[in-house]
Amino acid sequence: MIPDVLRQYQSEIVEALGETFVMVGVSVVAAVLIGLPIGTFLFLCRKGSLLENKWVYSILDTLVNIVRSIPFLLLVVFLIPFTRLLIGTAIGTAAATVPLAIIAIAHYSRLAEQSMLDVPRGVLEAAVAMGASVKDVIFKFLYVEARSGLVFGLTTSTVSFISYSTVMGIVGGGGIGDFAIRYGYQQFKTDLMLYVMIIMVIIVQLLQFVGTTVARKIDKR
Amino acid sequence: MIKLTNVSKSFAQFQAIKSVSLTINSSEIYGIIGASGAGKSTLLRLMNILDTPDSGEVEVNGQLLTSLSQAELRQARKAIGMIFQQFNLLANKTAYQNVLIPLQLVDFPRHERKARVMECLDFVGLGHAADKYPAQLSGGQKQRIAIARALASSPQVLLCDEPTSSLDASTTAEILSVLDKINKELGVTIVIVSHEMEVIKSICNRVSVMAEGEIYDTLAIEPQGVQHLEKSPQSFVEQLKGEGGG
Ligand SMILES: Nc1ncnc2c1ncn2[C@@H]1O[C@H](COP(=O)(O)OP(=O)(O)OP(=O)(O)O)[C@@H](O)[C@H]1O
Ligand SMILES: [Mg+2]
Repeated sequence: MIPDVLRQYQSEIVEALGETFVMVGVSVVAAVLIGLPIGTFLFLCRKGSLLENKWVYSILDTLVNIVRSIPFLLLVVFLIPFTRLLIGTAIGTAAATVPLAIIAIAHYSRLAEQSMLDVPRGVLEAAVAMGASVKDVIFKFLYVEARSGLVFGLTTSTVSFISYSTVMGIVGGGGIGDFAIRYGYQQFKTDLMLYVMIIMVIIVQLLQFVGTTVARKIDKR
Repeated sequence: MIKLTNVSKSFAQFQAIKSVSLTINSSEIYGIIGASGAGKSTLLRLMNILDTPDSGEVEVNGQLLTSLSQAELRQARKAIGMIFQQFNLLANKTAYQNVLIPLQLVDFPRHERKARVMECLDFVGLGHAADKYPAQLSGGQKQRIAIARALASSPQVLLCDEPTSSLDASTTAEILSVLDKINKELGVTIVIVSHEMEVIKSICNRVSVMAEGEIYDTLAIEPQGVQHLEKSPQSFVEQLKGEGGG
């Protein structure tokens, strides 16, 4: 059932998958813990919104745009000094998580902002009329109504993070993408490369399926 | 109960409310009618500072809202209910959970919350729909849930912005009856903004007519009572025949 090349490289593949899991996992955590709050501030600080603040909005908006517009490989190289400062080295899986986390934050904050923009204004207005504080508006109204879009966006983001993580070989980040390139492409093991691609397609399909199902389940609109 | 003194409100260059003063007495049902764009909604939204007046004073429940801090204003708003044309319920929460929110906001005693929510739902005749999501309810039912939500924290004032404007005639009657009942049984002061004359005539005892950001006139009227439209299929047939035959 399992092709021989896969058996042969089993331990390397498992290790590479583990590295991908770490890189993507850190990205997802960064997206939720930092990207979501930034997306929330983008939403709340925009014109006509609850915490309208031109300066905060412009600064966050520009930062997010800058990170997202720099070609990812350039961003990785550009961040090397910062990574070294933070992790102590710019090489390896741990170091690779730094640029990944930064692109993840920028990526998800935008999608989170978008899903909050889809919440009808009137609902938040009703919240304010009820005497809700900003914190109450966020947690009791905004996130409740935006939750389906937030989950769907996180799924989309995670698929992108997997894709970003495949180029982390350039800083020794490893991962399944790097494995496919080093063993499959550079050593002309085309069949191995193909199998790894199939594994990745299956992983992305599964992820998308789970994300879409959850997003649909929690959507009562 | 509600007192506006020389309130003005502009949006950019446009003056939506031009130095309006009015007094609404306790336990009144007060109507505000006028053409589209007259400034009715804006005037209503000034009453709980959903729109902040550029000048003038707003007093509700004996509190000068225009002089309160943000925290005090939030507190004051908990005693001012509001309902909207678009209902503005949370689509991801059941009817029960929607009505529960204001109780969480006012720190209502935990073990009494369930009884209070059910009391409010029963008051609007929807106790049986507690576990339904808004998407599973009709427009009239959604507005009744919104009313139950507005009532939960026992407000002294209920502000209504076009509460029946997206509903058909018989559902409108249903909502107006509930509002009338809230006024008569609970003594809540009600302000209704509408562009529909029948709505205003049926339950209001005083009405201001607005035009171009000003109050054109204010009159005391005798509420005519809610006209309960027949909605049995036979009544539709008879109305059709009556009109067809002349
Ligand atoms: N947030 C806003 N920004 C800019 N202009 C506004 C805003 N709110 C209201 N206006 C303007 O103020 C005027 C009065 O609006 P308002 O909504 O109070 O009218 P209304 O009498 O309630 O009309 P309708 O019957 O259509 O609801 C309108 O010309 C409207 O365009
Ligand atoms: Mg209006």
